[in-house]
Amino acid sequence: MRDTSTAFRVKKAFGYAMMLTFLAFSLLPVIWVVLLSMRPPTALFEPIWESPGAWTLDNIRSIARSDFPAALLNSFITAGSSTLLAMLIGVPGAFALSKRRSSNKFFASWLLLLLRMAPPVGFVIPLFLVYVRVGLIDTYVGLIFAYTSLTLPFVVWSMWTSFNQIPDELIEAGLMDGASLGRVLWRIVIPAARPGLVAAGVLSFLLAWNDFFFSLIITRSDTTTAPVAVMNFVSYASVDWGAIAVASIALTLPIVPIIVLANKYIVQSLGGAVKG
Amino acid sequence: MPATRASAAMDRTYRRMLVPASLAVGIFAITPLLGMLALSFTDFHLVRGWSGEIGIQNFVRLFEDRRFISSIYIMMALSVFGVLAQVVLGTAIAVGLDKIVGRWRFARGIFVVPFAVPHVAVALIWLSLFTPTLSPINAFFAVFGIEVPALLTTQTGAITAIVIADTWATYPFVMLIVLAALQGISPDLDEAAALDGATRVKAFFRITLPLLYPTLLMVALFRFIETLKHFPLIFVMTSGGPGRATQATNYYAYVQTFQNSNVAYGASIAVFLFLFAAAISFYIAKANARLSDA
Amino acid sequence: MIKTTHGALSAMLLLGSTALAPIAANAQDREVNVLLFSMPSTRGLAALADDFEAETGITANIDVVGQDVFESRITLSFTGGARDIDVVHTPVIQVQRWVEAGWLEPVTDTVEGLEDKDDILSGPLEAYQVNGDYYGLPFFAETGLMAYRKDLLDAAGVEAPETWDEMLEVAKAVDSDETAAIAMRVAPGQGFNMFVFPMLMRAYGGKFFADYPDDMTPALDSPENLEALNTYITLMNDYGPQGIGNFNFPEVVAALQNGQAAMTVDGTSIVSQAVDPAASQFADEFVLALPPGGPAGRSPAIAVHGLGIPAGSENAETAAEFIKWATSTETLTKLAINEAFPDFTRASVAENAEVQAKYAEVQEDFLDLRIEALNLAIGHYRPLIPTWPEIGAAIGENVNAAVNGQMSPEEALEAAQEEMEIILSY
Repeated sequence: MRDTSTAFRVKKAFGYAMMLTFLAFSLLPVIWVVLLSMRPPTALFEPIWESPGAWTLDNIRSIARSDFPAALLNSFITAGSSTLLAMLIGVPGAFALSKRRSSNKFFASWLLLLLRMAPPVGFVIPLFLVYVRVGLIDTYVGLIFAYTSLTLPFVVWSMWTSFNQIPDELIEAGLMDGASLGRVLWRIVIPAARPGLVAAGVLSFLLAWNDFFFSLIITRSDTTTAPVAVMNFVSYASVDWGAIAVASIALTLPIVPIIVLANKYIVQSLGGAVKG
Repeated sequence: MPATRASAAMDRTYRRMLVPASLAVGIFAITPLLGMLALSFTDFHLVRGWSGEIGIQNFVRLFEDRRFISSIYIMMALSVFGVLAQVVLGTAIAVGLDKIVGRWRFARGIFVVPFAVPHVAVALIWLSLFTPTLSPINAFFAVFGIEVPALLTTQTGAITAIVIADTWATYPFVMLIVLAALQGISPDLDEAAALDGATRVKAFFRITLPLLYPTLLMVALFRFIETLKHFPLIFVMTSGGPGRATQATNYYAYVQTFQNSNVAYGASIAVFLFLFAAAISFYIAKANARLSDA
Repeated sequence: MIKTTHGALSAMLLLGSTALAPIAANAQDREVNVLLFSMPSTRGLAALADDFEAETGITANIDVVGQDVFESRITLSFTGGARDIDVVHTPVIQVQRWVEAGWLEPVTDTVEGLEDKDDILSGPLEAYQVNGDYYGLPFFAETGLMAYRKDLLDAAGVEAPETWDEMLEVAKAVDSDETAAIAMRVAPGQGFNMFVFPMLMRAYGGKFFADYPDDMTPALDSPENLEALNTYITLMNDYGPQGIGNFNFPEVVAALQNGQAAMTVDGTSIVSQAVDPAASQFADEFVLALPPGGPAGRSPAIAVHGLGIPAGSENAETAAEFIKWATSTETLTKLAINEAFPDFTRASVAENAEVQAKYAEVQEDFLDLRIEALNLAIGHYRPLIPTWPEIGAAIGENVNAAVNGQMSPEEALEAAQEEMEIILSY
């Protein structure tokens, strides 16, 4: 059905205008922070068109010299390890939950959701009190365990729904052919659940990477993660906007390719997750 | 029957696969939660310690505490308006993108970018945009002699500011899910409606939207619970201000626990929040079970 | 119940932690871990760490974190025994609370052992004395001053105000579309608006307590405090720059430096940025003076920061050496020269020719003004009680709400009074 009337063209133009507005809303703040990252402090509070020539790489240099790169590394280590741990423990658990005939599934699914929903403020104090006793404050292990409390319920929940989409017959057929369960898992289930695995891995990494609160409370100088280290540029006397902009970009850059590449899988898997 | 023996063996295997996950969930997630619950019945204070008393005094105090009551209203405002904005915007963009194919498909990737920005950075970026002396928005309108009001100095403004920042960061999540759902809806339906003489807009509201409803409901509920836990946005953008205008319940729990050292009282606020979230997740789990069965 | 959960969880966690504990910098004999929060003089101090090592052979690991981060962590660190910290940034307003909780080690011997103890400004030093013991040595004492644009006041045909009532008239005369008359901190916080607002309170004769320290009945809802709050609200809302209701340190500084505000009454570290030629476009036009007074005289603000040692520190001796170095005439002189603020805590620093020359260039009598203001300032400008951080935060939030029109000034003071009573009752 091709409609070429003026009314249609107006509507189409309106549609594009709306989409462009949305695009501006999503991109302009990003462009702004990139510009901000290259403005010298003296030109910070002037409109850009009043000093169009004032640019500097000093902000980037000062970030490179600060503790921020170390904090980024800490973020990578802890978010990565926790995701790995959650996947190793969570994926088999999710598979069993999905395929096992049991009457307690509702309770399990509610419990998992509940854990994802729990407010970290209350959570973190008991964690802190225990960590102090056993010396886990400001250690990678302590932070990785704390993040696992976020990532594990998420991985189990989302892989559970992913495995639900794999027909039981497929697995049974494999087993009938005499293959071991491990082989079936490796050869049939994992490939079929790949979108779900990628999505669960990426989103759980994001969950830990994004964390501010746990790191604020249970790390000190050795293992501080990047989101908390950014706040060190906000001081009593001044806000180092240039450094903050650079740090924000540094925090985001590693995630962008991951998200853009995994976009497709996330869409597939989220579609499943919501429909069940 | 070999089948039953096999399935009994399978069941054992499944149970073994569940052990590490159950143990880990128990240790990492459930134990601290129980600790939180236990603390809420004490009078543990970071400076003064614990007198050894146990009771429900914290929960009694909750309902006499005006700051707590008003924090609930603030939380609800942030959540309701935030979720509405995210769902409407995310759906609108998804519907728009769904129609775009071919050369412009890469636009999808661009719309996802804010999703990659960590919340602390989101908060700092929007704080800079809402700081009148720094913001390019104010500078731009000043050229035309228009004074953009300072959002962060009024309650409505500060809540709006947080909702805007939150929407910017999370509409891609809604968009991705709605896109996935839209792909499951046959385009034939749209055309059938068009044949019936309905306009595209009408077709959308009459056919597509009802089909999307379960998806939208789930997304909204998920987002709703997430917004109850707002922390970095408030901490960075407003510190709970102006006055206490953006001290939502979760933030108030932080203030009591960490600024005022009233750990036990903070824990009781967290327990309240947790029960609230529990009720909503119960509903989600139910709805999810229903959808799975269907 | 807590005990058992601890036990079970601890056992589990221990299993994992022994294998994977990160490589902690194993404490060599001569090392000191210092935790400071970010302000110009602490960053300046961190930059001098090499000097300390050259002089003493002790490595100072100075960790400078954001103030928000510091405040969220420090109480918890103390609760956990703070074994990782040897020297801690100790703001004067926290001393009482930390001492009550038993978190600080007395440094009385160190203080009494100083040959040049008398050189330390007595007000700031005495503020670290609790029950006869010293719990820290000050490195930073900031007081309140006024800065005003002489060119704009002259153009409006007015003189610099001597009292807050005069300030209202001057502000009215000076205020214009391009330049607001006055900018002060309004952002809520015991160290933000509650650093500046008590200057008005005390000038009008208002108090926090009926008769500190003998009668600790909250006395916020007095007519004097109401008058002060009304003046503050009028100044900020009618003659302040746009968005003032959220202004904190950086915004006030930016407004002064960019010509968006003609006057301020705030800490020396703010006013000295208005007159800093390297950063301010109007450095030459700004003149510094004592803050305005009122019926009850002048009461410049005072904020003191020092260094203390966490209780049970295993490194107390090394820590004491660091504190002595950091608060010595030599180090404070370097700071006064390197940084833009003359907030030193030793009289002898002002005798240094280079320091004198540097601040005389800003304004002939800058250093004298500062000393005059410090002498006028009362030690308990903000009450020295353990609950002050909590009380100050509560009052600050209500005052901020009143400026932003969320409640009337009467309601704000009443609410603050009530909250103060509740906090004191727990």
